[in-house]
Amino acid sequence: MIAPDWFRDDRLPHIYCTGCGNGTIINCTLAAVEEMGWKRDETIFVSGIGCSSRAPGYILTDSLHTTHGRALAFATGVKMARPDFNVVVFTGDGDLAAIGGNHFIHACRRNVDMTVVCMNNYIYGMTGGQGSPTTPPGAISSTTPYGASEPAFDLAELAVAAGANYVARWTSYHVKELTKAIAAGMQTPGLAFVEARTQCPTNYGRHNKLRTVPAMVEHLRSHAILVRKYERMVAEGVPIPEGAFTVGELVRRSRPAMGVQR
Amino acid sequence: MKLVIDESRCKGCNLCVLVCPYKIFQEGTELNSRGIVTPVLDRPERCTNCRLQALYGRMLCGVCHMICPDQAISWVEERPFEPHKVEVEF
Amino acid sequence: MQGNAACAEGALAAGCKFFGGYPITPSTEIAETMARKLPKAGGVFISMEDELASIAAVIGAAWTGARAMTATSGPGFSLMMENIGYAAMTETPCVVVNIQRGGPSTGQPTRAAQGDMFQCRFGSHGDYSTIALTPNSVQEMFDLTVKAFDLADRFRVPTFLMSDEIVGHMRERVTIPDTVEVERSRPLAEESLPFEASADGVPGFAPFGSGRAVHVTGLTHDERGYPDTTDPAAHDRLVRRLVAKVESARRDIADYEVTNPDAETVFVTYGPPSRTVEQVMRDRPDDTIGHLRLRVVWPFPEFALHEFPNAKVFLMPELNMGQMVREVERHVDQPVVSLPKIGGELHTPAELVRALEAHR
Repeated sequence: MIAPDWFRDDRLPHIYCTGCGNGTIINCTLAAVEEMGWKRDETIFVSGIGCSSRAPGYILTDSLHTTHGRALAFATGVKMARPDFNVVVFTGDGDLAAIGGNHFIHACRRNVDMTVVCMNNYIYGMTGGQGSPTTPPGAISSTTPYGASEPAFDLAELAVAAGANYVARWTSYHVKELTKAIAAGMQTPGLAFVEARTQCPTNYGRHNKLRTVPAMVEHLRSHAILVRKYERMVAEGVPIPEGAFTVGELVRRSRPAMGVQR
Repeated sequence: MKLVIDESRCKGCNLCVLVCPYKIFQEGTELNSRGIVTPVLDRPERCTNCRLQALYGRMLCGVCHMICPDQAISWVEERPFEPHKVEVEF
Repeated sequence: MQGNAACAEGALAAGCKFFGGYPITPSTEIAETMARKLPKAGGVFISMEDELASIAAVIGAAWTGARAMTATSGPGFSLMMENIGYAAMTETPCVVVNIQRGGPSTGQPTRAAQGDMFQCRFGSHGDYSTIALTPNSVQEMFDLTVKAFDLADRFRVPTFLMSDEIVGHMRERVTIPDTVEVERSRPLAEESLPFEASADGVPGFAPFGSGRAVHVTGLTHDERGYPDTTDPAAHDRLVRRLVAKVESARRDIADYEVTNPDAETVFVTYGPPSRTVEQVMRDRPDDTIGHLRLRVVWPFPEFALHEFPNAKVFLMPELNMGQMVREVERHVDQPVVSLPKIGGELHTPAELVRALEAHR
């Protein structure tokens, strides 16, 4: 059980909508932090702007809630100035991939020793459900009323290509696996990127025929394919179902990293 | 140990209903004082974590606790401890 | 030594331990000097992906308790505006050096200007107050950089060294003391909340790792640091304090030189145009010409203008179309004449003499 003293009790309940997966991902991250045995005084949570980025405000540690998209740059400053701190970044798909895309690829390239947890809910949730760089083609959002026409980013693959030392993807349904992945990322020196696909029932599900919270979670669960299974399917020429995405550990390696405490 | 839902935090998303392997959480029907329909517990003493957490000294299962986005599900100590008659369905 | 190098030396002397930068003419020598010397001084130099990231990393480092700075020029300064507002809102002590060049936009990368004087005060959205220093010599690049760090720490506000290409690339003799005295932020008292101000309006500083679990946010926040975005009173209290903590201390912060206080014609300058005025005054020993040289332009020391009781006219040479002249006009009844010069060169003494004759 996550020790209740990790939470700012006076701030709960949080601002997230009913059924929002962000709270689940906070749980998984804190469970991983507990598994690592990190102390509260040495753990810094950094975030940008968006629903996901309100997370550090509910966690009882030093925390930096920064400007839109810049969380990774702030976190780089914190970690480089104090390599003995454990730095965790909460970010969202809009924050990370749109306005913060440049900071994202450069943080992966530098391989600064920190853990980045991206709550990917396919849209800009806080501003009311506009299309983001991860909105799947065809999905309805308030700025893609006829279906998204742009191809979407695969954030985890982007992190692999940009050089992060640990990359994994899970969903808010896979709580145990997600916790393990975040903990594995925290253990890996260098940048660990964990993409957590999550449900936004209010602004995404409602417009995309996934009206209830369980329906949206079930959609995430049923479209997640383990990396190994996916590779087997590709090798055997089995058609990949539409909307499916890989989950699991995508990469774990030891490229030279920055800000690793000696 | 006793399974509890913190009514001051629960927003009634019913994710616990979806994940509980014992179907302990059931969708509620009545509004609480905050205007939220919170899930109700069906024979919570069946929960492995209630029964065996103290024995094993770690959390067992606990998926409801992890997935609850509102940090509303937890276990509290029961004192004085009263043994429950447990009906386990196979 | 070159002005930019002197700035870097000043930062090192002040105990700067973090520099996040991005190359831009004409400020790059500061980054180059820091890249060479900071690691040897136990600090961290990092070349970020852009200026947005540079100032972000500087703010992040500042919250670990390190003295942190960045250096840039016009276009980069524009990019930094977002996070300068963040630093003002979160009361992060940090130093930003702006070696100004001709603008707008890419403008004249290798020429001097003073066109960003309002940007450093009003550039980010919303109300806040900042401190800006304007050196006019290589020695002052050193001295005022040290001072900028002290002011940033003392008032917990982003502090600007508003230099320009002329001073940045000028070479002069510099005296570097063996040690400089530094003044750090007051630590957060045990019984105070993280954003609870003392009598001077400045809260104590609890950098990360001091066990206070400070939540730092750019949202309107209360004294605990928790977001409180809908209460008009909370916003009013916070923003009034952010402005007042600097503005009410302007006599303390002020740094200026007065020459010939009985004069009737008074030059008001900051930065390198003061050097031309000094030349004019050397050429024409004449105590009817006064000179007020500002080393701190923001918060604007309006009381300094009243040190010239006999003044009939104020002349203001600036390397822009007339920016700080507006601030002077606001505070005096006498006529104020703007002497703008753009294009990248200083006023010549002859130009100032012509203006002097015309307005005497």
